[in-house]
Amino acid sequence: MRFRVERDVLAEAVAWTARSLPSRPPVPVLAGLLVEADKTGLTLSGFDYEVSAQVRVDAQVEEPGRALVSGRLLADISRSLPPQPVSVTTEGPKVLLVCGSARFALLTLPVDEYPTLPELPHVTGTLPSGLLATAVAQVAVAAGRDDTLPVLTGIRVEIEGDTVTLAATDRYRLAVRELTWHPEQPGLSAVSLVPARTLADTAKALTGIETVSIALSTGTAGEGLMGFEGQGRRTTTRLLEGEFPKYRALLPSESSAVATVDTAVLVEAVKRVSLVAERNTPVRLTFAAEELQLDAGTGEEAQASESLPCTLDGEPLTIAFNPHFLLDGLSAIDAEVTRFSFTAATKPAVITAGGTGEAAGPAPYRYLLMPVRLSG
Amino acid sequence: MALSVWEHLVGQDRAVVLLQQATRAAAEIVAGTGPGAAMTHAWVITGPPGSGRTTAAEAFAAALQCPAGGCGTCHSCTTARDRTHADVEVVRPVGMHHRVDHMRELVRRAALSPAGGRWQVVVIEDADRMEGTSQDWRAANALLKAIEEPTPRTVWVLCAPSLEDVLPTIRSRCRHIGLATPPVAAVADVLVRRDGIDPTMAAFAARAAQSHIGRARRLATDEGARLRRAEVLRIPTHLSGVGPCLTAAANVVEAAQEEAATVTGPLDAAETAELARALGQGSSRGLDGRGRAQLKDLEKDQKRRATRIQRDVLDLALLDLLGFYRDVLAVQLGAQVELVNTDVERDVRAVARASTPERTLQRIDSVTACREQIAGNVAALLAVEALTVTLR
Ligand SMILES: [Zn+2]
Repeated sequence: MRFRVERDVLAEAVAWTARSLPSRPPVPVLAGLLVEADKTGLTLSGFDYEVSAQVRVDAQVEEPGRALVSGRLLADISRSLPPQPVSVTTEGPKVLLVCGSARFALLTLPVDEYPTLPELPHVTGTLPSGLLATAVAQVAVAAGRDDTLPVLTGIRVEIEGDTVTLAATDRYRLAVRELTWHPEQPGLSAVSLVPARTLADTAKALTGIETVSIALSTGTAGEGLMGFEGQGRRTTTRLLEGEFPKYRALLPSESSAVATVDTAVLVEAVKRVSLVAERNTPVRLTFAAEELQLDAGTGEEAQASESLPCTLDGEPLTIAFNPHFLLDGLSAIDAEVTRFSFTAATKPAVITAGGTGEAAGPAPYRYLLMPVRLSG
Repeated sequence: MALSVWEHLVGQDRAVVLLQQATRAAAEIVAGTGPGAAMTHAWVITGPPGSGRTTAAEAFAAALQCPAGGCGTCHSCTTARDRTHADVEVVRPVGMHHRVDHMRELVRRAALSPAGGRWQVVVIEDADRMEGTSQDWRAANALLKAIEEPTPRTVWVLCAPSLEDVLPTIRSRCRHIGLATPPVAAVADVLVRRDGIDPTMAAFAARAAQSHIGRARRLATDEGARLRRAEVLRIPTHLSGVGPCLTAAANVVEAAQEEAATVTGPLDAAETAELARALGQGSSRGLDGRGRAQLKDLEKDQKRRATRIQRDVLDLALLDLLGFYRDVLAVQLGAQVELVNTDVERDVRAVARASTPERTLQRIDSVTACREQIAGNVAALLAVEALTVTLR
């Protein structure tokens, strides 16, 4: 193998691929980054058995070939190279990397032992990377973290024509985000469950690309995988299997009371109140016509309380939430004004971005939060 | 010519037929051409130590991944053999047990679809060694959840000495493949064919190892192992007083440690070198702090494994002793069977003459009890001392 490549091209490609290298490789070869040169360019690949990442870049290839080298080391070295073209050559058991006056030798790892990378499924549609990253981050916050309940650690992705719905729940809250994308074929319908942490990382890593293509198995290639592609970068992730809770039934169709509050003021108040209270103490919210009172603590002896302005349309009510879950929702809606919709103090509340009236239709992002039962 | 994945199994024709049927059924499911009734999502493979439980499980796993049902030569088969295939995971206990937190992580991974579109196979070696008490079965119960709610393309293969060693709620959900003790001739034959061992030596080793394939290979190739076995077989005729009993016990335990070191030493060194290289050793810049930390962790795991292997080797020594007393019993009862320990036949006959079948049965029970104690983590030297004293 022998090729020449631009320094920045190499450094960026290596950094992006190295992202999917396992921090603790289950087998030594997975610490490797696969370098493949063919007549038309250079491909770099990394894999941790769950996520694969691959970058295709231009290079002047003099002699095609492939080699596996320590990924972390290659990332480390390529970051520090001077701004000059890089020449890469295999020599016996080593890969030599020369850039200006800098020379590095990397021992190769047994490339034959490197596992087969998953096939990329067929592209089914596209959307802007920023939209994907925002939507995924909004939903991922509600995903479960218990390994023994794998289904709840995923984000359900539903595609129905030009609408994509993302949903996640850990049984205490549910986050649902709808967005519009550009399907390849009209009338496309598909459902999959993607590990939430992986999807969030992937979406973040793709923000450098303008438009992301999403690839989903259509039965022939890449079954059980989801792929993302754009500007020569592609990544696959294995899907979760299992029955996701029937979440749509949980979303109330109407509400008996609606309150709006300034988000930043509420966030600060919740933080202060829950800081004073003991860990895991629910924070109690009492909504009245013009005032929202917050307190934390058990029974009679509230440990902290605070009040702030709000608007309320409906009967006053008192409801309690886990403060961390409430804060997660308040930060996920990403809006100046928060809107709470209630049916009863014992039923889940729905948090959405405020400001838009009912007439605007259902909010694109809904965060449903189970109340904590108040003792006494 | 390379061997198909099945040819690594010795004297297990029946099990191979069943697993090949399952492989064909699994291929039907993948291709969508049939119901694949002979395939199921959970299996228990049982058999005596050395019969090839893990070998069978890994052959099955490789066959499920291979488009040709286990050709042994394609990239899928070779990576399964090298234990780097994305859809084959072999889980071994780190120390004496499978840890409950490892089992929990496994439950999540098992819920993933396969990377290669066929099957994800999880092989659990020593499934009888699960962390937890006989009341809470913590590790086994974590596993049970995943086996109870199977993922369509995940296959579990549990390996254990016998069905009784697996939690009833788990084994009731598994299909069972029982491996036989392979015939001595088959083990000898494989030593000759695969390892190029002299036929006479192969026959001796296969018989002396009581068909334990790995042990037979070691006895045939390592003189030290043969000497250590001879040392163990001297015990029955050298237990004249408490002093010699204690010396014999110490010798046995020490020999087990030595033998374990001959196994773990090269294994540890190869693993360490491979990981160090993958983390950058030998390249420009070399290992960083994180890499060194990972090597430290590997060393810790290797130490835990060494403890387990020492116990396994000690168990094999006790099996030698058990074989000796079985020979004694056979002589005492006039049974027309070939003795295991023909090389020490004179000692066998001497012990047979000097005792009764009842006494021999007691001794066999003592050895069995000692094996159980050692499996139950009793200090090895204490257990073996107690044994040699009762064997007197
Ligand atoms: Zn094959």
